[in-house]
Order: sequence, then C-alpha cells, then structure tokens
Amino acid sequence: MEGEAQKATASWESGTLAPVDRLRSVRADSPIPGLVEGTEPGRSLSHYQWDYITDCALILKTAGAGQKSAMFIHAHSFEDLTAEAEEEALRTVDSGRSEEQHEEGLKALVAEQNIDEQHSNDLSDSRTKEEDVSSEAWRSHKKHVFVLSEAGKPIYTRYGTEEALSSTMGVMMALVSFVEAEKNIIRSIHADGCKVVFLTKSPLVLVGVSRTCQSDKEMLRELQYIYYQIVSLLTLTQLNHIFQHKQNYDLRRLLAGSEYLTDNLLIRLERDPGLLLSAVTCLPLASSSRDVVSSSLQAAKSKNLVFSILLAGDRLVTLVRKKDQFLHHIDLHLVFNLVGSSSSFREGEGWTPICLPKFNTAGFFHAHISYLEPASQLCLILVSTDREDFFNMSDCKQKFMERLSKRSAYQALKEAVKCPSYSVAQVGIPELRHFLYKSKSSGLYTSPEFPMVYQSDEEQERLLSLYQELHSCLHHPTRPLRYYYRCRETENLLAQVTSGFELYLCFSPLVTKASAFAAVNKLLKWIRKEEDRLFILSPLTY
Amino acid sequence: MTAMRVDVKVVMLGKESVGKTSLVERYVHHRFLVGPYQNTIGAAFVAKPIQVGEKVITLGIWDTAGSERYEAMSRIYYRGARAAIVCYDLTDSSSFQRARFWVKELQNCEEHCKIYLCGTKNDLIQEDRSLRKIDYHDAQDFAEEIGAQHFETSSKTGNNVDELFQKVAEDYNSTAFQYMTGKTKLAWLRLLQAACHIFTDSPGS
Repeated sequence: MEGEAQKATASWESGTLAPVDRLRSVRADSPIPGLVEGTEPGRSLSHYQWDYITDCALILKTAGAGQKSAMFIHAHSFEDLTAEAEEEALRTVDSGRSEEQHEEGLKALVAEQNIDEQHSNDLSDSRTKEEDVSSEAWRSHKKHVFVLSEAGKPIYTRYGTEEALSSTMGVMMALVSFVEAEKNIIRSIHADGCKVVFLTKSPLVLVGVSRTCQSDKEMLRELQYIYYQIVSLLTLTQLNHIFQHKQNYDLRRLLAGSEYLTDNLLIRLERDPGLLLSAVTCLPLASSSRDVVSSSLQAAKSKNLVFSILLAGDRLVTLVRKKDQFLHHIDLHLVFNLVGSSSSFREGEGWTPICLPKFNTAGFFHAHISYLEPASQLCLILVSTDREDFFNMSDCKQKFMERLSKRSAYQALKEAVKCPSYSVAQVGIPELRHFLYKSKSSGLYTSPEFPMVYQSDEEQERLLSLYQELHSCLHHPTRPLRYYYRCRETENLLAQVTSGFELYLCFSPLVTKASAFAAVNKLLKWIRKEEDRLFILSPLTY
Repeated sequence: MTAMRVDVKVVMLGKESVGKTSLVERYVHHRFLVGPYQNTIGAAFVAKPIQVGEKVITLGIWDTAGSERYEAMSRIYYRGARAAIVCYDLTDSSSFQRARFWVKELQNCEEHCKIYLCGTKNDLIQEDRSLRKIDYHDAQDFAEEIGAQHFETSSKTGNNVDELFQKVAEDYNSTAFQYMTGKTKLAWLRLLQAACHIFTDSPGS
C-alpha cells in the first residue's frame, strides 16, 4: 500500500499532466487603461466567446479519494476561447448537443477517472493539520479557492492544507489539460448549487468553487485578484522563469509566509465594496486640509519616487504620483491588502520589493512603508524604482512629517481619522439605509457607515452580496442595464449606472418605487454638495 | 545603502520564524508580542541609540525577512554591515543549517562584518530540556571556528537580549577606537619623521 502510494507520487513528481502540444495561447490582457480612473470591470472578461456543451454529466470523485461518495456535476459550459478577443460580449450561445461534443464529455469523464484511480492512494497523513479535507465541514465552505501550477502541483488552498489536496488539484489540472488538448478552454462547471470556475494564467491555474449565487464573471474577477496577488510577490517574469526552468517546482517554497495575504484578500473580496466597484474610498476630510497634506507630500519628492500614498486604515487620504504614471485600482488594492494584513510595518520602517502587476508584471518597485506615529492608523507608502533608495525615502518621510506637523491640517487629519466616516442620516432621506456611489472619472467611491440593521459581519456580507448581484445585472455582458429596482422582504434595492457614476441604494422594505427614485436625485444633490470632502478633486503630481 | 544618522549597520539574518523580529522588538521596545506569527515583509529598519561608556552609538538595525522569496534582496541589507546577528531557533535543527548558510554568505561577501551567532527561544529550553535540538557546545565550537560571538537569548523573558546588542555596540566602539588610535599613531609617526627631517636638514647641527 505504501509502496504503491510512493510510486504514484513519484510518477506525479516527474510527469506533468499537461500535454506537450498544449495550446499556449497568448491572451490579450484586459484593455483597462493603467490608472486609478474609472474602469468598467466587466470589460476585462468580456472578450471570451463561449460555447456551451449542455447537459453532459460528469462524475467527479471528490477530494478525499478514499471516499466512496461521488459528486455529480452537470457540466454545461466548456467554453471555446477564440481569437476574436476584443469581442464585446460573452455570448451565451447554446450550441446544441452534437454527438461529437457528447463524446468529448465522455472522454473527459474517463480521463479524470483514470487520474483519480492513479492518485487514490496518494493521500498522506498530512491532512491532519488544520482542516480535514474529506470532512463535510470542509466541503460546505461557501467559497473555495485553489491555485496550482500547470504541472498540477498545489500552490494555495483557502481551507485545509495543500498536501492533502494534491490529488484533487491533480483532477483539476486533468480537466484543464484535457479540454486544452482539444484546443479548447474550460471556463466553468455548473453543478447543483455549486459552481466551479477555472482561470488559466500560465504558468498558474486558479480554480474557484462557490456555493453562492455569484456569477461566473464575478468569480473570475476574484480569481484574477488572487493571481495578481501572487504576481505582486514574485513578478510574472520570475514566475515564468521558475517554471520554464523546472516545471514541477513547488512554488509554496517561495510563497511561504504569504498565505495570509491571499487569505485576507479573499476576506476583502467579500467585505470591501471597493474591490467590487473597482474603486477605492477616501477618508472624508475638508478639502483645505487635504490640499495641505497633498502639497506637503508633493514637496517631499525624490528622483526615483513614483507614488506617494497616504492611507488611513483602508481609506485613501491622498495620492501623489509622478507625471504620466498612473496607479491602477487593482494595484492600489494590493497595496492596501499588504499594509492592512501585516503588523510588520509597525516595527519600524518597512522596505520591501513589490510588483504592481497592472503597472508592470516584469519588475519590482520598492516600497517604503511606515506609520506616521506608532499607534496611528495613518500609513505612508513611498514607492521607488530603486532598491537602494531606502534612506532617500526615509528622508522624504522626514521632510513630509516636518512640513505637515507645522500645519494645523495635521490635527484636522488626525481628528478625521478618529471620527467614524459619516452616517446615512446626514443625507436626510429617512427610508435610505445605505448606499454606494462611485465616481467613474476619479475611480473613487463613497459610502456611509453601516446602519444598525447591518452591524454584524454576516449582515454586511449579505448586503454586499446583494450589491454584487445588482452590479452583475447592471454590467451583464449581453444585456447591461441602466436601472435596476428590486423589492425584497428585508430591503428594497435600487441601482443606477450612467456614464459618470454608479449608484447602489439600499432602502427599508417599506419604501415605494416612486420615492426610491425620487431619493436618487436628493442623494446626488447631497453628494455634489459634499464632494470636495468625500473625494479627492485635485490629484497632484510631483 | 548608507545612512549618515547611524553609526553601525547591524543586520539580522536567519531562517523564517526563528524570532528575529521578536529579538529586535524586545531590544528596541522592551516587549514581547504574543499572538499569531506574522512574518516580516521585505525588511524593517529601526535606529536605536545605545550608551557605550561615555559615548552614544546609534545602531541601525535591519530586520530582514527569513522567507526564501527575499533571498535575492538580502545582499542590499547586509552590504556594508559592521555586525550581523545570525539567528537560529534552539528547538529547530534545520534553522542551524540555515544559519551556517548565512555565515558562509557573509564570509564570502562581507569579510569586515562581525558575526554574532544567536540561539533564540531559550525560554522553551528552560521549560523543557528535551526540546533542545542544538547542543550548546556544538554551537560554541562553530562560533569559535568562524570567529563569532555566541549567545543564547529569549525574547520572551528578555534573557541575554540587551547583552547581545550591548556587545555589538561595544565591539564596534573598541574597533573604532583601535582604528582611531592606529590613525593617531600614524600621525605621531609622521610628525616624528617630519621633526627628524627638520633636525637632519638643519645646517646648524
């Protein structure tokens, strides 16, 4: 038994499931312009053409191979990735059921069963750590995320340990490879109450398994974030180099200690509306104070300094950038995640290489990260191109601090950090409970504190998933909407999108449709009145 | 990477989770943070003034990340360092192998850097002697072989931590003093020579 297991592992190590002649299609990356500015998140994914194979039932033996029970999956979407990349829409063409396609499905079934058998003995005792991956508790997690290499080696799992999941990931890679061998690309598997979404970003493969009602597009967006998170630690150049050199490299060695960044990013994806809206939120601050902070930051410049970012927790205070250099919202969220996840920068002045993948996947920037005061939430990030620049950056911070602490604006800033953001009551619409407003031109959004009804984490996540649904409807690939109104038992929701903004409102369930629509104008008026406090209206460059 | 405001560049090296950050945290902030392990990202810099005799010396401490991911970057952290505190976990024999790696690296690239070998988590050993994986004498022998100082510390109790950094500062001070006296000696010699010249050249004698 043990010998067998070893054999299986050995063949696993040396071999790779990827077919030699695999389709290494170079996919055009999203056409999003590289700046913080408003970008339609939908566009990045919409250029794939879909080709559906319906009603082809697959039997996918699940993770803990020893397990007898099997999970039935009705796969009805293997998609074809054609070259017409910039096509506008995700065409949900039901291609009917040709015999050929049926055969394909059956072959997939056979292939994966073989692999499953091959590795059924492969599970070691290592799964005792953390969660038991064969347990019901593990299966019933709302959302799983797996990252693996193209050789089928586990790189990351959200729950459980990677070792325990090597055969599951092997099956995943087998599915990907099998479909690729047919010059096709697997996009998702839809099962009863469960969705499996694949994202192949050579040399990585990302798989999301969700029990929520999220759309494929939303899940792909999340997987893309995870991909960029990994790239930001290593650069794509390094990733490619590693896997070209050694296809079955265990990437966990290099990612050791960074798992919590990915874990936290996944939590953020569930709780932070900014990641949904492709925008960041600002600390509400009087524009006069913000201008002083910005200009102090602008004055503390250095030759290789590209971005100066001042954060208050998860909110942006100001951002100064080099002329003609823009920071993409994804990169900014990765920086937020890095700073927010780690207490490491509280020890002293941090100096770390960081790749901003939307800016450049090939190289590292070097970030000087430090808090303005030991217990403060205000964190300054100075991004330089030169890895020897630490003391220059440190001097920039000193200059900034000297300048800032002389002004009264610093006091105002510290006060603003302490206060809660603002309550929805200030808007003066009684039925309105909460809202999200994104200004497309600036890539910034604003929203009030969560009201009493949404105080718990579960309620907040629920509200955000409702917003996510609205977002999906507005940005539907084939039938985008301008308005969307929805009555529910617990709340009524309204969403609107124009060329200038996106708006999501949550009302009490007693509101009428007419008064909900009337509220939009009132809210827009209020936001216009407050915009110099809620947004950064005059971004600065060095 | 040089700084004018520090006298001595000190770099912390060693395998991840041996407790480099805890050591710095204990020394600089006199505290030990209990909680889930958080690895250092990149490196953290902190400047700490220390009294040596009548002088105040500022240590510029670079607390580096132990993760292999940052290995390529490590050169910029130890370049020009006058002291390296190479840490290993007393309860983890693989961390001692890693310490040997760092020692070799330093010997090859920074020959003027003085090495301090530091076994961490001494408190665990005090509680349960069977946890010790690195024999004191083995480490001591290795330290002597490479001409390093050897310490065993506990960041949790603070045991030996101040002594370690004090020693770093004192060593720097005494080498700096030797260097100074060397220089003064040379100056004196030059003066003497010059005087001799004056005397030999003087036509009066």
